[in-house]
This record gives sequence, structure tokens and C-alpha cells, in this order.
Amino acid sequence: MLFAVGGLTNAAYLFIVAAGLSLVFGALRVINMAHGSLYMIAAFVTVAVANQLGSAYGFWVGMVAAILITGAVGVLIEVVVLRRVYRAEHLVQLLGTYAVTLIVAGVVRRVFGASYRSTPAPDLLRASVSLGGYRYSVYSFFMIFAAVVIAAGVYALLYRTALGRNIRAAVSDPELLSASGVNVARLFTTVFVIGAALAALGGVIVAPSQAINSSIDTDVLVLAFAISVIGGLGSIVGSLVGSLIVGEVISFGLNNKYTNGFALAFVFLIMAGVLIVRPWGLFGKPEN
Amino acid sequence: MIRKSKALAFAVAAAFLVVACGGTTSTSTGTVTFKGTKKVGYSGSLSGGAAIYGHAASQALKLAAQDINAKGGVNGYKIEMDILDDATQVQNAVDNTKQMILQDSVVAMMGPVTSAQCQATSPISKQNKIVYVSATCNSYQLTTEPDLINPYYVSVVPNTYMEGLAAANVVAKVGAKRIFIVSPKYIFGISETNAFVTGLKKAAPNATIVNDQATWYVPFPTNPRWDSTISAIQAAKPDLVYSNIFAGDEINFIKQAEAVDPEFFKKYPMTTLSSVDELNTLRDSFPLGMHLYMRAPFFALSNPTLDSFVTRYEAAYPGDFPSDWAVMDYDAFQVWATAANKAGSFDSDKVMQQIVGKSFPSLRGYSFTIRAGDQQANVGETIGDTVSSNGKYPFPVLANSTNLNGSDTIMSLTLMNELRDGKCEKGGDPKTTDFALCPSFGK
Repeated sequence: MLFAVGGLTNAAYLFIVAAGLSLVFGALRVINMAHGSLYMIAAFVTVAVANQLGSAYGFWVGMVAAILITGAVGVLIEVVVLRRVYRAEHLVQLLGTYAVTLIVAGVVRRVFGASYRSTPAPDLLRASVSLGGYRYSVYSFFMIFAAVVIAAGVYALLYRTALGRNIRAAVSDPELLSASGVNVARLFTTVFVIGAALAALGGVIVAPSQAINSSIDTDVLVLAFAISVIGGLGSIVGSLVGSLIVGEVISFGLNNKYTNGFALAFVFLIMAGVLIVRPWGLFGKPEN
Repeated sequence: MIRKSKALAFAVAAAFLVVACGGTTSTSTGTVTFKGTKKVGYSGSLSGGAAIYGHAASQALKLAAQDINAKGGVNGYKIEMDILDDATQVQNAVDNTKQMILQDSVVAMMGPVTSAQCQATSPISKQNKIVYVSATCNSYQLTTEPDLINPYYVSVVPNTYMEGLAAANVVAKVGAKRIFIVSPKYIFGISETNAFVTGLKKAAPNATIVNDQATWYVPFPTNPRWDSTISAIQAAKPDLVYSNIFAGDEINFIKQAEAVDPEFFKKYPMTTLSSVDELNTLRDSFPLGMHLYMRAPFFALSNPTLDSFVTRYEAAYPGDFPSDWAVMDYDAFQVWATAANKAGSFDSDKVMQQIVGKSFPSLRGYSFTIRAGDQQANVGETIGDTVSSNGKYPFPVLANSTNLNGSDTIMSLTLMNELRDGKCEKGGDPKTTDFALCPSFGK
């Protein structure tokens, strides 16, 4: 139980970030290297607003501000960069979005400096509970709860709404969808903004629990990619299962004397194993 | 006519060269004319996990260069800092060091932030005979491993052996009996923990370590979530947690442990390496009652020279407090500049003759000596418990702080030579180094 909760907390924020990465790839077929940058922008915005307004409601206002600002940056990236590379090879898309990560990192360093930024958890969630003789942070349970709500929300969006139907149709055949009268360009922008909002929620949720600096973009992206590859790029269920595997492997692995030195390496071993046996991931579909 | 034009062109070119390569600097005491400009290199972590340290060091080095230039520079030359960002990556530090030495022709290097970076770049300075003054990275292996020994390497920071002993001193003072260890798994963490365990055997022989040695170390850089370690501490119920995690790792660990239990550090007191940067990041959230060991906290080492430095630093970089790294890097630069001026040369061998065995004044309020053998300065460590600064600073300070004398914690030359000769390891494997295996241990 003790280590399982730690693993779930780990899995929670990783799922939120990986889900956005996977959604964008599934619909737009773009491996978005700038996803970590969107996560970082949201974390910085949350910390800045929360520290300005105080711990009573600063976090919640910060969350709204972070989603709006990150969404706006997402629109900019989609319109200025991605629209020009949708039909290009994956390598060109990688380079294009990687260029965005360098620009964003530079801007963030210029605006926020090199120091770590930190903000306390909101008052409402700043408590701990005792279970089975051990204490747990309420904020950890909030992270897990938020991930479950977001997972349900994304699932409902994809499978219970007209927008979701169009997104799934775009994954299968964007040209046919366009012929049926749907504005595919606008749909792609919408999907990218939803992906950006998920990255933003990831950044928002970690802001009160960890130090924020301009390197958190790449730190999270590495694990988010591993999760997406394990679960299957494009599959939300895959992201959920992948993040649970990664979160728990790290949590239990670090505390076992036989696996301590390899806990993070195990994540990438699993990823390599999945790539060998099922290159499209546990829940993904092979690309035609 | 043509001859006159050529002479004029020559004069213009010469004037241009003087302006480009030499020039003048205005100071509060007048104008200083220089023979030219020389560069001193610093590959610093200005981004990435250790950015707060590299940022502070680079600011202090710029200030040190300004100060030395205001006094006429070094050997009549204006000193310019050549600072490149290594993004806290070892390979970038290697590339930067090569660029600065081979392309930028620096006359000296200030060591980078992490020991892994120093491990990779010190040999480049040795190969190119460039003085390399370390003020942050501090693994003792940098001066004891045969392939790392570098006659141009100078350390003005307490090394991991000295820090490990300082931490053991803290544990003995606190009287803890059940210790939980958490440390980053790379050269710095492993060597400092080795020294701590050695020091503990002497300073607190009744103390036991409650977690298995295989779980002492966490990957570095690690996952930002520390739930796993926090859970393990709750399960082990130690009297005290010993750590040498730092920067973002330390901040994340403290934040997450306090979220799990606001009384966490009262139940499981912690002794850890820390600096003004961690204190200033967490500010009011930094727990009180933490048993810290610090390298150069300005608030605990107050003296006229340091106070003047603090004032100038805060004026130059509004909103910033000079961290331990800033204080030590300023010292590092002064050591090189003083020695180069005394040598009357930038030749590294001549400069080293003015460094080895010589004493230098420190911002830390005392003079230290760079001893012959490993070029390690007998610099001290400050230990104490965190208390509120009562509004003097936006972060806690140390109460009842003690500035340990570096001469008491510096590794004996006998021990150093035993390490160099491989007498403290099993079967010639340096990974098995244990001070308890050294013939002189316990004597």
C-alpha cells in the first residue's frame, strides 16, 4: 500500500502529460517534442499566479490562467509550425517541434531566470491522512483523483461526443472527413489545443509538489514518450496502462535492494521489450 | 606620398589593435590602461538540474573579474570571463572545456558544478597544462584516482571526505542512533556517503544504518517524485535521515515529505548538505530544526570582507543573495589571479608555483592554505540547525552554527597516498574503496 500510493501518484501526473502527447500523435500523426515545453509553461504560470495571489485561491486561478495561456501557445505552435509539416516525414516534424522546445526554453529562462520556483499546495489540499499507520499527502490523492477524472473526460470526449467522432474519423482518413464537409484544419487545431491543455494540466498539478525550473520540459518528456511507446502512441487506454506500469516500476524498483540501481533502466527495458514484441504498443494499432 | 599613406594606415591599424586587444577601464579611482585582454574559462550549469549553482557561480566570477580589473587586472591584462552553459550535462562540459582551451585560448579554468563534470574535464586541463580551480565539484577521487590526478587541479571547496566527516560530526552531536541514508548515485554522492559512514564509525560508533546499502542511492538525476523514498523512511522509522541530495532533488524531497506529514522532519530529523540557494527557494517552507552542513553560508560567516562582497553582489544582481557557490567561486578566481600576478606570468607551471603551499585570504573570514600533494585547501564546513531569521532574510538561517576548521577534517596525506596506491580497495577494484580497509584507518 505504502509504495503503491507513491507509484499511483507518480503515474497520475505522467498519465496526464502522456495522454496529451498520445492524443496529438493519434489524431495528427505528429510526435510533438514541444509537449514538455507546454507542460513547463503551465507550471511556471501556475507558480507565478499562485505566489502572487496566495495559497487560498491562487492555485485555482493559476490553473485557469495556465490552461488559457498554454492553449494560446498551442494555437500558435499549430498554426505557425505544425501546419507546415503535417505532410512531411516524422523527422522533419521532430526537428520542427524540437526547435520550438529550444525557443520556449530560452524564453522561459529569460523571463523566469535560472532559479527554482516553488509554491505551496492550495490551502484546501494542504493536509495529510493516516492510513494503516503511515501518513499520506492529501495532495497525492488529489493528483490521483484528477488523473482519473481526466482519463474519464478524455474517454467521454473521444467516444461520446461529435468532436470525438470527428477526431477518430480524422485518425482513420482525414481526406474523407474533409470531403464530408468537416473543417479538418480547424479540427486539427482543436485537437492540438486539447493536447496542450492536457500538458498544461500536468504542469499545473505538479507545480505545488515539486521545484520548477527550465529543465522540467525534457525530464517529463522522456518518461511521457516511454509511456506512450509502451501503451501505444494514439491510445488513451494505453497511456493509462503505460503510466501505471512506469509509476509502479519506479516506486517499487527504487525500494528493492536488488532493483534499486536499475529502477529507471527497467522502464526503458520494458519499452524496448514492447518495441520488439509489439512495436505499436500494448494498446496501439499498427500504422498502415 | 604613398609612404605617408602607408604610415598613416599602419598607425590607424595599430590604434585599432590597441583598442581591440587592449583598451582602458574606468574605475572609481581613475582609468586603468591594459596591455590587452586574457580570458578565464567557466563551463557552468546555467540551465538543467544544477542551474541555480552555475548561475550563482557565474555571477560571482563576473564580479571577481570586474574587481580585479578595477585594480589593474592580472599582469597588466584585462580579464574577461568566458562563460559557456553546459546544461548540467557532462558531454557539454567536455565540449565547452575543449572549446575554451583550444579555441578561446583561456589562461585558466574555474571548475564546473558537478563532480561528474570535473571528472571528465580535469584531464583536459591536465593535458593542456591549464590551471583548473574547483569551487563546487568536490569528490575526493579527483585527487586520489591515478587517472584523475592533475598537477594543475586546485580545490578551494571542502572535498567529499571533509564533508562526510562534517556530517558525521553533526550526527554525533545530535546523538542519533538509527540512521537512514539517501544519496545521489554518482561519484559525488557515493564518495561523500563513504566518507560519512567512515566518520560515523569514529564519531558515533553506536549508530546503525537502517536501510540496506543497496537502497542508499537514488538515480541522479532522478525522478522528481520522492514518494518511494518518503515511504521507505516511514517504514524504517529512523532517528535521523542523512542525505547529500542537492538542488532540485533536495527541494522536491522536502516539499513532498512535508506534504505527506507536516511533522515529517520532527519525526525524522534530517542532516543534509544545503546551500543558500535551497533555503532561498523554499523560504518559509524550508523546515526549521534541520541539521545542515553548508560550504559557505554568508549569514554564518559574517566578516568585513564578506559583508562588503554581499553588498556589492546584491547591488550588482538585485534580488539575489550570494549563495555558497558564489562565495567559493569568488575565492577560486582570487586564488588564480593573486598567484598569476605574483608569478608575473600566465604560464601555468609558474602560476602553480605561486599556489601550492601558499596561503590566500578568503571571503569566509580566514586564510586557507593550498597544500602540496593534492592542492586541497584546508577550508571549513559550517554546521548548524535551521531557525527563523526573524525577518532579516526571506529564508531560515543557522542557529548555534559552528565553522569546522578545515585542518581538522582534511584527509591526511598518509590516507591520500594509501588511496592513490589502491591500498583501500578489494582486489584492485576502485569501486570497492572503503576507508576501513586503509592501513592507517583508526590510527
